[in-house]
Amino acid sequence: MKSIRIITLVLWGWCGFLFAQPEGTPEDWLQRMASALRGLNYQISFVVLQPNGEFEPYLWRHALVDDIEMEHLSLQNGPGREIVRVDDLVSYFEPNVPAFSLRSDVINGPLPAELFRNPHALEHAYDYVMIGRSRISGRSAQQIRIVSKDKSRYGFNLWLDQESGLLLKLDMTDVQGEVLEQVQVTSLQVTAEPDEYFSRIEKSKLPELVEMSDTGPLPIRWQIGWLPEGMQILRRDIHRLPMTGQMVEYAMLSDGLVDVSVYLQAVDPGTSENGWLRYGANTLLSLQQGALEVTVVGKVPPQTASTIANSITLVKGND
Amino acid sequence: MTQQQSEHLSSMMDGELLDNDQFNALAKDSRVADKWRSYHLIRDGLRKELPPTLHLDISARVAAAIEAEPAILAPQRKSKSLPLVGHVIPWIRQGGQFAVAASVAAAVILGVQQFNQPTPEQPFSSAPAWQLPGTQMGGLSPVSLEQTHVMPRADTLEQKRRINAYLADHQRQMRLKAEEQAAAQKQEAEDSTQPQQ
Repeated sequence: MKSIRIITLVLWGWCGFLFAQPEGTPEDWLQRMASALRGLNYQISFVVLQPNGEFEPYLWRHALVDDIEMEHLSLQNGPGREIVRVDDLVSYFEPNVPAFSLRSDVINGPLPAELFRNPHALEHAYDYVMIGRSRISGRSAQQIRIVSKDKSRYGFNLWLDQESGLLLKLDMTDVQGEVLEQVQVTSLQVTAEPDEYFSRIEKSKLPELVEMSDTGPLPIRWQIGWLPEGMQILRRDIHRLPMTGQMVEYAMLSDGLVDVSVYLQAVDPGTSENGWLRYGANTLLSLQQGALEVTVVGKVPPQTASTIANSITLVKGND
Repeated sequence: MTQQQSEHLSSMMDGELLDNDQFNALAKDSRVADKWRSYHLIRDGLRKELPPTLHLDISARVAAAIEAEPAILAPQRKSKSLPLVGHVIPWIRQGGQFAVAASVAAAVILGVQQFNQPTPEQPFSSAPAWQLPGTQMGGLSPVSLEQTHVMPRADTLEQKRRINAYLADHQRQMRLKAEEQAAAQKQEAEDSTQPQQ
């Protein structure tokens, strides 16, 4: 008699589990998130938490005004940082730097813009896994896990609002599952009408556009032998570092979700030390190869940074 | 002092009357008298009713303690061996070291040892062996961080400046990324290096 009861209970449990199974694939959910983020009028307050206990509160507003996307991201603590996007013009207002605008259709802030706009673009680098439902910020949320295919990058846990598909929480975790960086939404409002704030933005008064100087193709003097799966070299140039003014050869790697900077600098052999450190969720790794110092910066595990740095070779006879 | 005596003492403290026998049994015992005194002192202390100056007669006990003290043959006791002080002092010392370390670098410098600890899920150990054709281009070659060390302490200010420069430039480049993405993709097509699959 008892066993029958247990079996019934187990069956009920299974039924409950089956019914609780989320509808749709993770790709559907991410697509839904992308179109919600682009098409809705919303105001989201969120906090970015760093592993060392530091946190930054942000206010994020988005609106469609006459079919033109407008977005505003504002750092709420300290002297502040305001970023305004009108369609494909992004203006940065920051302390100590004159305001400037860039031609771009995403704000580069604490949130991974490309994941939010075009999740399909990440599919060659990451796998999406449906986890389940939970409650975040007082709302019913769908959890999705984002894991890099070759496990060479940090993993992400993403919670999306069941109702609107908007972001509720985003965790970046290392391989051991320890949280490295966390974005937690504290309030979320979806409105029918655009926020009043956007009516005050005058497009003609936005700061001047910074045009990128096109240096033309560079002679390839070095190459990166190994890249994490799905990661590409987006750009290479030679520029000066701020503060120190040193000339570096530079390459930006990206898989859409994380960006990695690779710097090459000529040094006297034996003058610099190999080493690495962690700053927030960023890894900075320096490696000396003969007369070259290779520095890798980005939100990747130190092992990955080390592999990238070690795979760099000089191309001979190309000068 | 028996359990019964304690109970009686306690009830007397609470103002309950005892019969004569019980009272006499308590009054005879000097330990009970001591306890009675200290209970009242504690109670006054708890109620914040202590007089401004306390005339505690500890001279007798000090004298007795000195009498009982063995002659000092071994070196003087260090503060470390005292249970409480011994705990406190290393903390103060460490605190100083922490402060020094913290001023050396704002960035958290992690030891390599932490990473050399065997972990069940090293990112690269999960790669099947056949993906390692023995060449360096194999990508998922087991990476050892042994050749890299914690950033050396020496030359820290200069180093800190360089680290900050790299971090700041990385931030800047991420912003410029979107702007240049289209152009870069064109350039990337000309690029000989392609990501390995």
